[in-house]
Amino acid sequence: MSHTRYRVMEAGEARRFPPEAMARIEKILTRYPTKQAALLPVLWVAQETWGWISKEAGEEVARVLDLPPSHVDGVLTFYTMYNLRPVGKHLLQVCTSISCHLNGAESLLERCGKRLGIGLEETTADGKFTLVEVECIAGCDRAPSMMVNDQYFEPMDAGKLDALLDRLSREA
Amino acid sequence: MSSTPVAPPPSAPPPAPPPKDTFTVSFDGKAIEVPKNLNLIDAAKLAGVDIPHFCYHPRLSVVGQCRMCLVEIEGMPKIQAACTVPLKDGLSVKTTTDKVKNARAATMEFLLINHPLDCPICDQAGECTLQDNSFGYGNQLSRFDEAKRQYPTFDRTMIGPHVVADMTRCIQCTRCIRFTHEIAGTSELTFLDRGGRTLVWTHEGQPLANDWSGCAADVCPVGALTTREFRFRSRVWYLQKTPSVCPGCNVGCNISIESRDDVVYRFLPRLNPTVNDYWLCDYGRFLSEPLNDRDVHKATVREGSAVREATVPAAVDRIAREIRSSLEGKGPGAVFFLGSAHLSNEENFLLRKIADHVGSPNRDAIVDKSRPRKVKSKTVWVEGDDAGANHQGAKDMGLSPGAGGHGLDAVIAGKASPEVILIADAAFSAIADDPEKVAALRRARFLAVAARNANALTRAADVVLPAASLAEKEGTFTNVQGRVQKFDRAFLPKPPIRAAWEHLLLLALALGFGDRSWTPHDLLRQIAAEVPDYAGIKEEELEGGRLLKKGDFAWAGRP
Amino acid sequence: MEKVLTARIGKKDSRSIDTYLADGGYTGVKRVLTSGMTPEQVIEEVKKANVRGRGGAGFSAGVKWGFLPKDTKGKPIYLFCNADESEPGTFKDRLLMENDPHQLIEGMILASYAIRCRNAYIYIRGEFYDGARILERAIGEAYAKGYLGEKILGSRFSLDITVHRGAGAYICGEETGLIESIEGKRGQPRIKPPFPAVSGAFAAPTIVNNVETLCCVKHVIDRGAEWFLKIGRNEKNAGPKLFCISGHVNRPGVYEAAMGLPLKDLIFGAEYAQGMKGGKKIKAVIPGGASAPMLTAAEIDDCPLDFDGVAAKGSMLGSAAIVVINEDACIVDVAKNLSKFFSHESCGQCTPCREGTPWLYKVLTRIEAGQGRMEDIDLLARICNQMANGMTICVFADAAIAPPLSSVTKFRAEYEHHVTQKRCLVGARAAELVTV
Repeated sequence: MSHTRYRVMEAGEARRFPPEAMARIEKILTRYPTKQAALLPVLWVAQETWGWISKEAGEEVARVLDLPPSHVDGVLTFYTMYNLRPVGKHLLQVCTSISCHLNGAESLLERCGKRLGIGLEETTADGKFTLVEVECIAGCDRAPSMMVNDQYFEPMDAGKLDALLDRLSREA
Repeated sequence: MSSTPVAPPPSAPPPAPPPKDTFTVSFDGKAIEVPKNLNLIDAAKLAGVDIPHFCYHPRLSVVGQCRMCLVEIEGMPKIQAACTVPLKDGLSVKTTTDKVKNARAATMEFLLINHPLDCPICDQAGECTLQDNSFGYGNQLSRFDEAKRQYPTFDRTMIGPHVVADMTRCIQCTRCIRFTHEIAGTSELTFLDRGGRTLVWTHEGQPLANDWSGCAADVCPVGALTTREFRFRSRVWYLQKTPSVCPGCNVGCNISIESRDDVVYRFLPRLNPTVNDYWLCDYGRFLSEPLNDRDVHKATVREGSAVREATVPAAVDRIAREIRSSLEGKGPGAVFFLGSAHLSNEENFLLRKIADHVGSPNRDAIVDKSRPRKVKSKTVWVEGDDAGANHQGAKDMGLSPGAGGHGLDAVIAGKASPEVILIADAAFSAIADDPEKVAALRRARFLAVAARNANALTRAADVVLPAASLAEKEGTFTNVQGRVQKFDRAFLPKPPIRAAWEHLLLLALALGFGDRSWTPHDLLRQIAAEVPDYAGIKEEELEGGRLLKKGDFAWAGRP
Repeated sequence: MEKVLTARIGKKDSRSIDTYLADGGYTGVKRVLTSGMTPEQVIEEVKKANVRGRGGAGFSAGVKWGFLPKDTKGKPIYLFCNADESEPGTFKDRLLMENDPHQLIEGMILASYAIRCRNAYIYIRGEFYDGARILERAIGEAYAKGYLGEKILGSRFSLDITVHRGAGAYICGEETGLIESIEGKRGQPRIKPPFPAVSGAFAAPTIVNNVETLCCVKHVIDRGAEWFLKIGRNEKNAGPKLFCISGHVNRPGVYEAAMGLPLKDLIFGAEYAQGMKGGKKIKAVIPGGASAPMLTAAEIDDCPLDFDGVAAKGSMLGSAAIVVINEDACIVDVAKNLSKFFSHESCGQCTPCREGTPWLYKVLTRIEAGQGRMEDIDLLARICNQMANGMTICVFADAAIAPPLSSVTKFRAEYEHHVTQKRCLVGARAAELVTV
């Protein structure tokens, strides 16, 4: 949130979509009048394939969609849900927008960081957790709301958070 | 015949007035007719009304982002960005109301809160739209008390072979991005991130390296993009601007030579919609640097095995003597005259007149081929592949072998052996540094060349004349489109250096024709009288270039 | 009021097409496609019902459809369902999509038929991963039963619907930002005109409608414009409406009621939010999402929750997201939080918004931290006034100034207290004292 999205990190190795990803992309392309229109969905495929979108992954996306890599960078850095660097197995997204804020989001966020020993945008040494602050995720009636990867956890409180982190830590 | 009154013929409907191709638009109450396809900002300019702007550029798509060109439009309650308002008949624009002034001052304040106060070390200072508009439309006091935005690692960084980026100065107008998308077609630049963190950058590993990358710095209204070559070299207000034509190839891009104290600091494109529009290729742009190189400062004459300095008149006299002696001994076929695509029409013309005078059919012009170069005019790409701006003109002036005469190829191939060879310009040709070709030319008994820089050819020559650079002379070139374009002199050559036409005039006089008072202007008049395609051409018509035969002409003023 | 939009929510298997059909779903589609009702008649009905956009702007959907050119010069017409629900305080579309996806799909089929759209898209915010999956499953069911695809129900009408996930950008809820995004670009709103109905996505005529709006279309076609117009205070503010209430209330949630529900009823009514948590007093209410100017406790009396009712109070109904703030909250902190949101979400193309939103946030941060000066209070208002009313391409900046401007105007004393006492009137960072 306070962090900038200027740098798309390098993976250090070439990225090529595996056949199953290419098959998905082919299917996606049939739904749009232009290749460029498939950019957001194809970036999602990239993120699901590699967990984050490296410079090389962006180049691969540019290649399959016939786009300038700079255009892919521009889009990639505009939307906050594309990970520009590797993230932990569990991406903890704590909402701090108004309704969650009024219901203790900050203390939830703080508790999260303290328990995991990490700051915002940081990943635990074991690679399990990354903690980020996000803007309103439409969970306002169940504030404070948070997401772990694609799943909502709401409303949260200290006990529920502890239990959630314990459970996720125990998972392989 | 009956006297029945004849019904008047049915009156033909009055001819429909031709559809108007203009709109009537009023600016601050003053109505003006403007072409329909103009942007409101350019229409205002026609009315003499300046609408300040940053992101609008006549050749780039309209994005309406900078919010500087705000005006009031009658009938619209909200303030409008002028660049986004479609022209229509009866549009009434107000640019001086308090609402407009306040809105512009607001935009200026927003632009300045994060802009560094580094004008004293910024190359853009003096030609910075932000400075100008701040002076014209801003408030004097800053109410911003926070830390200014920084872009660590995105300041003072080369983003290509020529362009240096400093994002702390960027005002996010996207002109450069649009240039790479819409004109260069290379799309190296993009916005990254968003909101107050937005910056312009390249994809790592794909630098801003297209053939026109310097134009990205040209379109930048601030000092966020500057060229490595010009950085920290001169304050722009010291630079004198001289209209000229790029010597790089036969596209003949219109340029401004920017010089100070007889040193050329840079070339900038000079607007000509029919040739290079607002653009200039990097190759041509950075020929400004070699323009200052010179190691031939004086005339030299070989006497026996020694090479001595001589005055230019003495050196020219020597050439004249050698020509006369060959003519007497072997006849006119013994002399060979070589012009070039780097010489002006006037110079090539005078050289041809000398050849005519002595009766030699052996004449030619050096034209090297270059890699193809192109630039986008307002409508189409203009392409050239000659090294040198004036291949067409050299041909038009008659620098090709006459009946029974020989050209350069024949001389180099040894099929012709002239006694005396005069090379009016030894610049920029691969021949000058090709030992075999120089040896072939050297087979002549006497070899004279004019040059700016020493090379194998000058070292082989019997007489070397110090020749002026493009910046030091005036004349015309004829480009690949057949457009005759005038270039002015930025500064006088340092004596005894002279322009080729002066050398040639001295030679003509020594050979018994010509008039000491001739200037390139007189020579152009002679061209207009003698060269059929150039018939009637007038110097005062040459601003913007004159297309031979077709007479297409356009001049749109400063961007 | 009888539940309409949420009638099936809470029922078993409400997402499945079988229960949807059993509840009379898709009868509107069947009727329209087999009765020979023309697209123009559908548009006319929706126009007559004056279904005002439920996404925030409140513009009549039927009128919007009417802007489509008669002759598209061979270009297709696109329908985009705006499911980018991102306005802080808003969570109604999530509920509709996750629980009754076929209601939306039916609304989209009818709307597409009306505007002659062959390819429709649901632009759903990236965080609604479940919502997207649920919609995709439902769309699959609809294809299987012949409600989508080629020659629907044997008619000449064909339609494909594609779910398109966003990726984290509030501005893509602005309709031209959404169009840019779906074209595979940064979601930077476009200059208008041209309006999307004339030249939108892929330079073709495009209609963008909110989830709830499209759901309303289904019911207008089922029950007629007359029925729709009777719900609510008057015909300009008609129909069933979802209200999102959150903040310091006992029972936050989505409540369906007739347009024009009194704000006080929503907050205190037994069938709604059931009053303030802990019996605290109201300090402020945001009546229409983060973009709506705050109302004071005194202003919530006699405030019907519809477009014109809230506008009469100098605010807006917006996405009908009501955020209730109690007396313990620090208003500077609230404004700061909302400004952080807008600063984070500004697309950055227009100077006043790109520069103004972070500036507001910085000044608010300073004041909140007790480092403000008296002149900062007026500065806030001045910055706000320099950002809005045509200063930018889209209305994001107009939204972004609502929290600071309305709070500075209405709660000035609290700001002054921060400056003079270098602390919060209600105790340091009241909101942060809430621990979970």
